[in-house]
Amino acid sequence: MSDFTQHGMVPQVTHDERARQSFVKTFRAHLSGKVMPGNYQVFQKRVVPRFQAQHGRPPEDERELRAVMTQDPYYQFWSAMQRRSQEMLWESVIDPTERQLPELIQRAKQLADRKRGKGQAGSLHLDPDVAVPRYHAAADIHLQPGGYHTDFVADDVAAGVVYDKGINLYMGGALGPENNAMGDLLVTYFREKYPARQPKRILDMGCAIGNSTVVWARAFPQAEVHGIDVGAPVLRYAHARAESMNVPVHFRQANAEDTKLPAGSFDLIISHIMLHETSKSAIVNVMRESLRLLAPNGLMLHLEIPRGDDLMEQFMHNWESYNNNETFARYMTGLDLKAVAVKGGFVPAKTRVDHYSPGYDVAKTNYSESFIWKILVGEK
Amino acid sequence: MSDPSPYPPPKGHRPYFFDDPAIDQLHTALLAVTQELSVARERIDTLERLLEQSGHLRRAAIETFQPDASAEAERTVQRAALVDRVLKPFVDYRENLFSRKRGQA
Repeated sequence: MSDFTQHGMVPQVTHDERARQSFVKTFRAHLSGKVMPGNYQVFQKRVVPRFQAQHGRPPEDERELRAVMTQDPYYQFWSAMQRRSQEMLWESVIDPTERQLPELIQRAKQLADRKRGKGQAGSLHLDPDVAVPRYHAAADIHLQPGGYHTDFVADDVAAGVVYDKGINLYMGGALGPENNAMGDLLVTYFREKYPARQPKRILDMGCAIGNSTVVWARAFPQAEVHGIDVGAPVLRYAHARAESMNVPVHFRQANAEDTKLPAGSFDLIISHIMLHETSKSAIVNVMRESLRLLAPNGLMLHLEIPRGDDLMEQFMHNWESYNNNETFARYMTGLDLKAVAVKGGFVPAKTRVDHYSPGYDVAKTNYSESFIWKILVGEK
Repeated sequence: MSDPSPYPPPKGHRPYFFDDPAIDQLHTALLAVTQELSVARERIDTLERLLEQSGHLRRAAIETFQPDASAEAERTVQRAALVDRVLKPFVDYRENLFSRKRGQA
């Protein structure tokens, strides 16, 4: 019955804790399926006509639209509910995590220390000298208390435990039982477009809990798969989680802008919705670093979420920037990702942006009825 | 009564959407109540299913159950206590106004 795999790092939930999580999930499906679309009706039938009557034209940019939409009672109602649902989402997952944290930390240590055969074991390398970048430290991304990076206690894994179940609830289970859908999508894309490639060394940037990294390691068992992130607690969790699934992945605390890894050491670099969690300068640095890390003829694939195709969709997607601590995401509206890669050193002829739609149920998309992924592709 | 939350709220500005933040707070409280109602209903459902599985209850009997006079009297007291708890802020507000006036007099 569960749409969430009970791997070795999942906390137990009491009857009422599970019921609270179920409520959050049901409530969010109601919000996205039945309440959110009303914003588009309000926009068409009330906000635009009123603006038109006043100015003799429809709103022309997001600033103008924001000024009037945020005054509309329906939008205010949805926003208050949407914001609260996000807070409730984390609270429902934090309660069981806090209750069992010492035991979860112990479990993570046991999984990390388990003896494995050569080539079957992953690894974890933490580096306390890696500074948490300002774009993570300034505000807790997605409202998760402490973000990806805060150790509340020694050897903390809570950020990972909370994030894993949290994103399952956030997407109403649409990411799959192991939050595997983004990894599956990018693996499918890679196999379709590059059937001849057999990657030997894969790097997943901004891997967090390694939910996508594990998908790549399973899909290419002959490859050595690495995952990097700036957050120590998510990496401890990622390592223990992968070990409990018997999937060897090498996790390392490093910033994708400047990994300190040897030049030319990977033939495939991937990321899954990491770019919008960076900054204007960092995103270019990530391109530059990707190019440096790639071996000759190496390939990078950065998966990104849609930012809306028209003014209203863009406004709705940017709700996350203003109200869910997705601080940088709104700067990616209309951003030419290809130009960013070229600025980082990629050759225009070997760089492109592809689109892919998995056809999600409207009840599982939060801000618009269509959901089309972007893939930034660059070859060295 | 319970310990304060061991984890802090998320770092970053907390937006309010209505002109009066009290309306946002009411939404927040209403959702918490709805969530707890959902949790309680799920617990009742679990109880009914477990009782039925173990042969102690036919769930159809719940629908035709008629409380006797003493059960009805107890329920009336419980219902009134619940209403008192839910509407306590309004009573407190009135009492506060009243006692302040009295204090000033």
